[in-house]
Amino acid sequence: MSEKYGSLIPTGKLLDGKPRTILFDATKCIGCRQCVHACKDWNDHPRTTIYELSSTNWITMEPPVLEGLSPLWARNSCMHCEYPMCAAVCPVEAITKYEEGPVVINQDVCIGCEYCIYACPWGVISKNDITHKATKCTMCSDRLSDNKQPFCVQACPVEALDFGLQEEMTAKAKKRAEEVNGYLYGDKEASGTQLIYVLKEKKESYGLRSVGPEKYPKHRIPLGLMLKDLFTLRCGLPGKLRALYLAIIHPGRLIYRYWPWRSVA
Amino acid sequence: MSNASELFPQRRATRLPGGYMGQLLRVDLTTGSMRDENLPEEPLLKKFIGGQSLASYILLRELPLDAKPYGPENKVVMMTGPITGTGFTPGGTKVTAVYLSPLTNHTLGRGAASGFWAVYLKAAGYDGIIIEGAAQKPTYLFINEGRAELRDASRVWGKGATETEDLLRQEVGLKDAKVMCIGPAGENLVHAAMLCNDYNHNAAHSGGAVFGSKKLKAIVVHGTARPPLYDRERLIEAGLRWRNTLMVRHEAEKRTAGHAVDLGAAPNFNFRSTVIEESHIEGFDKNRVTLRPCFQCQRLCPWDVELKAGKHSGTVGHFNAGSEWLDTFYNLGVRGNDALYLAQRINDLGIECSHFSCGVGVAFEAWEKGLLDAEKTGGLKFEWGNVEVVDRLLDMAARREGYWGNLLAEGPVEVAAAIGGDAPKWVVHTKKGTPALHDWRPHFGQMIREIVASGGMKPQGGGSVNPPPDLKYREKWGPLDRDDPAGWSWSNALSEQYRQFCGVIGGCWFAQMHMKPDGIKSIVDSFNATTGWSFDIDQALEAGHRSAMLQSIFGTQRGWIAEHDWQDVGPRFLEPLPDGKHKGFTIAKWLPDMVYEYHRLMGRHEKTGRPFMDTLSRLGLEEFKEWAQLD
Ligand code: SF4
Ligand code: SF4
Ligand code: SF4
Ligand code: SF4
Repeated sequence: MSEKYGSLIPTGKLLDGKPRTILFDATKCIGCRQCVHACKDWNDHPRTTIYELSSTNWITMEPPVLEGLSPLWARNSCMHCEYPMCAAVCPVEAITKYEEGPVVINQDVCIGCEYCIYACPWGVISKNDITHKATKCTMCSDRLSDNKQPFCVQACPVEALDFGLQEEMTAKAKKRAEEVNGYLYGDKEASGTQLIYVLKEKKESYGLRSVGPEKYPKHRIPLGLMLKDLFTLRCGLPGKLRALYLAIIHPGRLIYRYWPWRSVA
Repeated sequence: MSNASELFPQRRATRLPGGYMGQLLRVDLTTGSMRDENLPEEPLLKKFIGGQSLASYILLRELPLDAKPYGPENKVVMMTGPITGTGFTPGGTKVTAVYLSPLTNHTLGRGAASGFWAVYLKAAGYDGIIIEGAAQKPTYLFINEGRAELRDASRVWGKGATETEDLLRQEVGLKDAKVMCIGPAGENLVHAAMLCNDYNHNAAHSGGAVFGSKKLKAIVVHGTARPPLYDRERLIEAGLRWRNTLMVRHEAEKRTAGHAVDLGAAPNFNFRSTVIEESHIEGFDKNRVTLRPCFQCQRLCPWDVELKAGKHSGTVGHFNAGSEWLDTFYNLGVRGNDALYLAQRINDLGIECSHFSCGVGVAFEAWEKGLLDAEKTGGLKFEWGNVEVVDRLLDMAARREGYWGNLLAEGPVEVAAAIGGDAPKWVVHTKKGTPALHDWRPHFGQMIREIVASGGMKPQGGGSVNPPPDLKYREKWGPLDRDDPAGWSWSNALSEQYRQFCGVIGGCWFAQMHMKPDGIKSIVDSFNATTGWSFDIDQALEAGHRSAMLQSIFGTQRGWIAEHDWQDVGPRFLEPLPDGKHKGFTIAKWLPDMVYEYHRLMGRHEKTGRPFMDTLSRLGLEEFKEWAQLD
């Protein structure tokens, strides 16, 4: 881990350190949204709504029409990037990349600055209106540490979702894509993620975002937001102090936050 | 009988078990007033649980003995159960509605639906609804986050179920609101009108007509709540075990002639041939089929179809697993994709398909045999397989249009009587209701179930050749012989009990795999983990038995006797099978003995159908002792 990330982002280990991947096979998906409700059930989120990502709805199935009524369905949730920009921009190091794959926002540490929300190339982070913290899919890291698969994967009634070691899932996805003469998604985007999709048509047909192949994709945190965070009391004094301290000990990270047009290797 | 406030305490003195939201909504459509009722105290809840059982108990307590099905005094009580909507089990989808049935005028009517609606009713904060009175003008009930309001439904009055759903969702501005509604059939008091929900689901057996009589077009539900759980971890574990028992349905199954294949017989030409031919499924292989499961259920019953062949190519249909809507049109000589087209039409209009099919079947047979001609049919050719005519009759029936529309809306018995001659001998019905449209005739278990049903209300049961593996500790019998009636009455009575239990707790009995090891146990364990009670299997069966008993007590109070079960049956339903593998078979040879035996085994008098006093005491139903058989 350390040679891959240096001190750029916080890293950790939940289980055995072997990287995992969620495979989403769009060629099998029937758009039933059992994965969406399962995520709510596991995380004890309110029953509705299910059509938009929110702090209590960490996954949507697109397009936003009734179950079963579209010929194509795409999963929309955190991709668990191998090089997660959300983690790189977090001024208080609240976001950890675990060796097994999950990118997790520590709710106790998050100060609600919203940088990650703007930095995420997939726009899958939401702020909780009550706690004012950033939230998103955790890849069920709480289950993974018990060696259980993500709850959404377990729920899928037609095995359109799968979970396992990264190399196995990647091989499986490739094979499947060849079989159906389809496409992969998530394997090259942002230099690789720990979600891999098998698509039967091009990603545009599913409304999936185009994300370039470079690590830590460029982003645009609004200048106004940054100024507000620097010069007002927003996010609290302890949060600011922690951000300051971390900026001093890990200055290499600042470039990701404040010079998004940088080019870094 | 005691009054309602005793049943629904102002303030609960006992614990609210897990799984329940804790409240019922009582709606008086006459005055427009609404109020929340606390669920009964724990001992009573433990006895009746929910679903059909608790709903019937409430109805028994509140419905006047002289109530008329379409009078404002009739009530509809709708109940979910504790396992509805937890998300952690398959089949946690059921809502059951009970009322005095307009099909029979004296038995319990019951409609049960799966899908999503029940889950969202709980999300809106309620375990159930009691609907009373009648509105002056078309109305719908909108319940969002514990707030209920009655709204004007004139915009959707007259519309089919699918469109009503879409329009009301738009009107309330909530994309994920769920709608239960009636089609034109319910509005026009077609006796067998259904409740329709979530596109693919219908609760048959007259609930739609009672809604219609109250000018209630729909109930729209939405909310964020979820039922509290007694032991979440244990529930997840038990729910997974339940899931592992499921026999998952596949897309390929949706391209077959459906349940007729399992039964070894399809009804053809008003039950006069059972043969299944290639033409029955013509075009099915070309259609686009999409599975569209119910809320968190992996059994995968419901499905959508886009017809890709035939005259009605492009039609989109929404179905559940049953396939009685296929047999409905097979029975009228319609084949292949035309049958699917008509099936979507009948569901959208909201007519119970068997009721329509048994009526039209008699009329078509009368045409074939020369009892009817174009003069009497208003120029319509009542020919087998005439899709245009069937299509036209559907609209006429749903709107009670003209002579035939009106007659079909009344029912097959009325159709036959109006035709006269031998026509009454050609009818299939049970106590004027109609069996879910399949050819059940080759099978003892299925036939006894249909015959003892509460008047066209699809009963639960059907029996099995061997006892379910989970009941082997107490059931020492089997295998039963398909040609010998011995044991079938009990097998059916037993299955009625475990199926009733599944529904009573808010589960879908299509998801109960009784013949799989753990198929019943895992459900009981899911229920225990949810509620915090600790039922064993015997208690679960007893809860199912109790529900079945309330159903018959309701009939007893209003004039039903057990003798009706075998006397008031359409003759065609008891005729020997005309052809096929089971040619010549009929249950009629063993009637009334099998019916008598069934009632005795359920603890009722074989002829009156009244429960014996010791049955009532065993089930804790002493309060109904005035309806008991005393000698
Ligand atoms: S998809 Fe967004 S939130 Fe998820 S790891 Fe990547 S950058 Fe972070
Ligand atoms: S991995 Fe877990 S947290 Fe993420 S979408 Fe699936 S169930 Fe939700
Ligand atoms: S549960 Fe599976 S099939 Fe259903 S929407 Fe999710 S990925 Fe698709
Ligand atoms: S068993 Fe079938 S009908 Fe019942 S809830 Fe499951 S999918 Fe729905």
